Amino acid sequence: MSHPIVLEGEFVNLRPLAAEDAALTFAWRQSARARLLNLGATSVEQQAKWIASRPPSEYNYIIELKNGRPVGTLSLVAVSEANRHAESGRFLIGDEEAVKGVPAAVDAMRLLYQFAFDHLQLTRIYGTVARENRLMIKWQKYLGMKEEGCLRQHYLIDGRFQDAICLGLLVSEYRRISLPKMNALIAAARVPTAKA
Amino acid sequence: MSQRKIVLGVILRAVENLSDELEDGAKISVDEDTKLFGTDAVLDSLSLVSVIVDVETAISEKFNTPIALTDDRAMSREVSPFANVTALADYIVELLAEAGL
Repeated sequence: MSHPIVLEGEFVNLRPLAAEDAALTFAWRQSARARLLNLGATSVEQQAKWIASRPPSEYNYIIELKNGRPVGTLSLVAVSEANRHAESGRFLIGDEEAVKGVPAAVDAMRLLYQFAFDHLQLTRIYGTVARENRLMIKWQKYLGMKEEGCLRQHYLIDGRFQDAICLGLLVSEYRRISLPKMNALIAAARVPTAKA
Repeated sequence: MSQRKIVLGVILRAVENLSDELEDGAKISVDEDTKLFGTDAVLDSLSLVSVIVDVETAISEKFNTPIALTDDRAMSREVSPFANVTALADYIVELLAEAGL
């Protein structure tokens, strides 16, 4: 598998996660929005070790605005060339103020899907989201993912078990549903607003 | 109540729903002039999609006709339907008028 250095989008780039990102990504994992993600590292040192131990089969990215400001993370993992599928995850907007009015999340996901479906020639992307992460489930479904099932009490979050909702997207659904909607949302930020 | 007032109510309710999902420090308050998306706007794209889903669902239920807010037509407008609450209401009223409502 060849690993592109940077995936370049219209509002954001995806660049490979590096050990130097440990402090920043650890801080993001402590934010309120990250509360509904898998349990992460408990120190910057542990985060750095985790980053260094990522296997080459994983594509772990920092989402950066075009001015270079890092705003979040996104990954494509468990890539199976044999079955032509992979899991998307570790999706977190850590700098929420920086992305107000900016389609950073949509542009980042469009880049990841383009990489998965067009470059790697995969036919399916899947992932899981904690049931109480309602905004993320709503977002993923609107952009084409289908609910495929539920893993009961799959996550232990804040001392309480939560179901994991299983979501999946086929390449045909990506082209027919996801891409047009993503393009529209990105265009909405591009179009100039009314003059005063 | 006029159609436009109903539409405005739907949009404001959708933002309230979103605000209810957010942590205390991220609550959003809006009026008709609030910029929703684009430069100096209050929503990120995760939040914008939440508002779109709720608005599309509520309009379809209230007026018994489906509407799509993220299609080619929305993209091609000079003023984005998501520029502010007023622009979104105008766009929805236009879609309803074309549907004969």
